[in-house]
Amino acid sequence: MRRMGIAFSASVAFAVGVLTLISLLLGDHPELYGNVAGAEIWAGLLALPAAVLLRLVTLTVAVTIVIGIVNLLHVHAGRGLRRQFYSIVMIASFAFTMYWYLTRQGDTSLLAAVQVPIESALAALLFLSMAQGGARVMKKRADIWGLLFVTVMVIVLLGTLPLPALAPLREWSDWLMDIPVGAGARAILLGIALGTVVAGVRILLGQDRSYRG
Amino acid sequence: MSESAITLISFVATLMVFSYLLGDLPLVSSLYRTAVYIFIGMSAAFTLVATYEGVILPYLADIQDANTSWTALGNQADVTIFVTALLFGLLLLLKPIASLSWLTNSILAVLIVVGAATAVVGALTGTLFPLLHAITVVPEDITADFTALVNTVLIFLGTMSGLFYFQFQLRQGDDDSAGRSRVGYAVRSLGKIFVVTTLGAIYATTMLSMLTIFVERVGFLMRFGV
Repeated sequence: MRRMGIAFSASVAFAVGVLTLISLLLGDHPELYGNVAGAEIWAGLLALPAAVLLRLVTLTVAVTIVIGIVNLLHVHAGRGLRRQFYSIVMIASFAFTMYWYLTRQGDTSLLAAVQVPIESALAALLFLSMAQGGARVMKKRADIWGLLFVTVMVIVLLGTLPLPALAPLREWSDWLMDIPVGAGARAILLGIALGTVVAGVRILLGQDRSYRG
Repeated sequence: MSESAITLISFVATLMVFSYLLGDLPLVSSLYRTAVYIFIGMSAAFTLVATYEGVILPYLADIQDANTSWTALGNQADVTIFVTALLFGLLLLLKPIASLSWLTNSILAVLIVVGAATAVVGALTGTLFPLLHAITVVPEDITADFTALVNTVLIFLGTMSGLFYFQFQLRQGDDDSAGRSRVGYAVRSLGKIFVVTTLGAIYATTMLSMLTIFVERVGFLMRFGV
């Protein structure tokens, strides 16, 4: 029974994945069919499965987000009943925000007063952690790569200072950002894209069955 | 909410988060945690509102109007898709029941493979093809300008060697002459130079963004304090 279940879900994954892939690649592109009669109709028909499946997945993900939030509230409500202070704060914060939304639609002052300052302050704290981490690089990794990392970091940081004495360094910094960093960023992006393609194809072929949980 | 109330609450919220810098003092450390839990509660509420208003509500409005259709299949098909999505979401709640795992796994499979297929097409058409095209384009004035030639060669070398550096699968016993030869090692080291340079620059620019926010927050505290 268990094997049947695995085979069923793998078959569903393969069929739906290949259908979506073909539909996304060939749908809505009548120019790919050359001079075939009714190319536009075929292209429109081929685009349909991807359109339907993407709608279905978008809606399902939205429903799962709602379920996830309900689960979060359920967990914290349980802790709140055991008088755990932070869980009560979290539930109260959620309830107040919902009340605010339902009674004052369109009023974003709560967002400006609480959400944005806390987010900004957390990002500001991140700066201090990053500065500390940057300073620790040479301590933890005192080799040529650590030195290169810190040197580039210092050049880019100093290059942004509006001091006339640092004008030559700014030129270096601009060149560094345009050429070596541009090349490295392209390599990283290409690596991510190739990794995405490989991981995606592995899932579509059923070699990677992460959905089994 | 009045402007002064917004400023006062912002001031208190910022101070609560910055109390983290004072370390693990009694009472003070709880201020930071309280701010974080307030943030989580509000984020959950805003996510719920955004999901409802941005995804579910427009779909609900559309299926109530017989004249509108998301797909060429018509309004009735839209209703079926909507109900199916709701059913999928609710069926996923049955995940803990082992005997029904074939059903929940199949729903998860649909979600994951549609995402994977979209990611594959996005990576191919949005990143791979445009970037490969960009690195093979030769500037028009390349023969006139020696610097442009050097820069173009550097970008090509950097991209290719950087890509070669990402070789993280080497099985024991594999005849991987390209990976273990001196040439392979040299190309990988060149690629590592470009990748480390890029990571250093990304780190620095992220630090600058965070520094801007930090200065803005400290400036706000000072202004309000004055």
